[in-house]
Amino acid sequence: MIDLQTWIDWAGGPLFRAALAFMLLGLARRAALNAWEIVRAWRRAGDKQLPWRAVLRATLRWLFPLGQVGNRALFSATTLLFHAAVILVPLFLAGHVALWQPWLGIAWPVMPSALATALTVAAVVAALGLVIQRAASRATRALSRLEDYALPIVVGLPFLTGLLVMHPGWNPFSYQWTMLAHVLSADLLLVLFPLTKLSHMVLLPATQLVSELAWHFPPDAGSRVAAALRKEGEPI
Amino acid sequence: MAESGRKYSFHVEPKALQVSDRPRKFLEAFAAVLRHGNYQLALDTYARLSTRCGRCASTCQLYATTQQDEDLPCHRSELLLRVYRRYFTRWGVMRARLFGGFTLTDEYLDQMAEASYRCTACRRCKAACPMGMDHGLVTRLARWLLAEIGLIPKALVVSVRQQLAGVGNTSGIPLPALKDTCQFLEEELQEMFGVPIPFPFDVQQAEYVFFPAVSDYLLEADTLMGNAAVMHASGASWTIGTGNYDGINYGLFYSDRMLEQIVQNVAAEVRRLRGRKVLVGECGHATRAAWYLNTFAGPDAPPVVNCLQYAHQMLTAGRLRLRDQRIEEPVAYHDPCNIARGGRITEEPREILKTICRNYVEMTPNRTENYCCGGGGGTVSIDEIRGFRTGSLGKCKADQIRASGAKIVVSPCANCKKQLREVCADNGLPDVQIVGLHDLLLKVIEVK
Repeated sequence: MIDLQTWIDWAGGPLFRAALAFMLLGLARRAALNAWEIVRAWRRAGDKQLPWRAVLRATLRWLFPLGQVGNRALFSATTLLFHAAVILVPLFLAGHVALWQPWLGIAWPVMPSALATALTVAAVVAALGLVIQRAASRATRALSRLEDYALPIVVGLPFLTGLLVMHPGWNPFSYQWTMLAHVLSADLLLVLFPLTKLSHMVLLPATQLVSELAWHFPPDAGSRVAAALRKEGEPI
Repeated sequence: MAESGRKYSFHVEPKALQVSDRPRKFLEAFAAVLRHGNYQLALDTYARLSTRCGRCASTCQLYATTQQDEDLPCHRSELLLRVYRRYFTRWGVMRARLFGGFTLTDEYLDQMAEASYRCTACRRCKAACPMGMDHGLVTRLARWLLAEIGLIPKALVVSVRQQLAGVGNTSGIPLPALKDTCQFLEEELQEMFGVPIPFPFDVQQAEYVFFPAVSDYLLEADTLMGNAAVMHASGASWTIGTGNYDGINYGLFYSDRMLEQIVQNVAAEVRRLRGRKVLVGECGHATRAAWYLNTFAGPDAPPVVNCLQYAHQMLTAGRLRLRDQRIEEPVAYHDPCNIARGGRITEEPREILKTICRNYVEMTPNRTENYCCGGGGGTVSIDEIRGFRTGSLGKCKADQIRASGAKIVVSPCANCKKQLREVCADNGLPDVQIVGLHDLLLKVIEVK
């Protein structure tokens, strides 16, 4: 007989702490490397004048993309709903805050459970919606790779299992198995953050700047490339 | 050996078909560019974050017409990003060692070359990408790397050879021919205004050294006469340098190596004449290329003024007088991508046109969101792809011009002018005139 509670405690205890540390350290490393490379690119650039205002405007437009829903409206709206749900629920669910409190020694306001349920349902529906819309539209179907379909599902899993944990009446499976699945899928998600495109969580604020900087060439890059390829003096 | 009979939709030079071992050479060039350039950060970010959401689909005028998967901006970028991931990221190298998978081949390079010259690098899709990917940047980088293995449209490389190693300009105009042309234009101006309006050569310490697209001397007499009339009427000190009179810089379209040399030649001519500023004629990419003087010509690089900015400034300051005459036909303004996409020059030409035209109409979308003429990124000089340029690439623009009801479309860019004339001819708009802004100024300006 397997003692499920032991496994749940392990997955929610040491394993969770390891996964969380992996995520935080991984993302911090990504962000630090990104910042370092930005400074390095800027220092190498021949023209150090950047259109700061335009870069900032574009950055804010995509950090708060409410005005961008017009393009692929349903897909964009689904994306927004998905992001709102997956950011808010893990942080402000009463059950989660109660877990953090003894650990961090601080508490913060929690969301009403009805709202939490609604947002969790929204997260699951939106995750499925993203996968279905990706497959249904010709343009995205042509572009997509396995990872693009898999990630919304992996992100949706802790929400689906969390919903069943919160509402035992809806749950056809045993509570403990569901809880174990919930905690394990959350651990997996944390580990994936720094390794996949989910790292946009820390990289997105800099992408507009990064794109702008790429147009700011080092003054001698062309000649250095020519030298490296032994093409100096070679006829055009 | 590369197989014979390889065909592209554009012509390449015979020697391009004889390059051997292309994948290795491509990767060597890629490594050198990553090491010495500023591209790695962007590529690394794009390779990590590219989310393939398809939002760029609705912004690309090429994809809107062809609906072909390979014309999606994100799809095109993926061609290069795939190579980057496989050969220049630790994870990609490790995965290839363990599991094999993607290998760069000759066929893949051919596919990339074809894709890179279907895009005009207009960068309209940039504004639609949630991750901030600049597909125009990636396309241009792919073109550079391909050029390093000789894979480049003949039209582009021949022009650059003329400019850097031949006569000194992309149209191959020798100095005596240039002087003849200018003399002829002076006679025309004399007839038009009754006063001598000069095209000054090699004036030392002039405030402005003039760099138009050199093809204007062959094709755009009215634009150049407009330029000269504006300079004369506003009392400017300006000159054409006999050492370098071409603002065209195809390096902007395919190679930082060429861009750097051509920009440095502009700076050298300004220094030789001890001029103070670079005045760029009606040309979008020449203007954007000249803005790279700050990058390539050191801290004392001459400031760059586009002739639209100059005319606007003079008009606002009251130093340009207009006759009572106005342009009566409906006039629309086409934003050249290279000066409008970044929002740098969009309002000055509009203000001038609203002053000199009675019936100014706007094409939608416009300014930073304009549609490309369909000939950007150097594709306009590739004559053998005209059908593709005016059809798949140009149809959106033709529809936009038709919807505006304009009879005159003003397009202050040598590339856009040539392309738009062909777009109108091939899309049933024979009555629409494509002109430069200075062509219209020439009709209304007062010269004493």
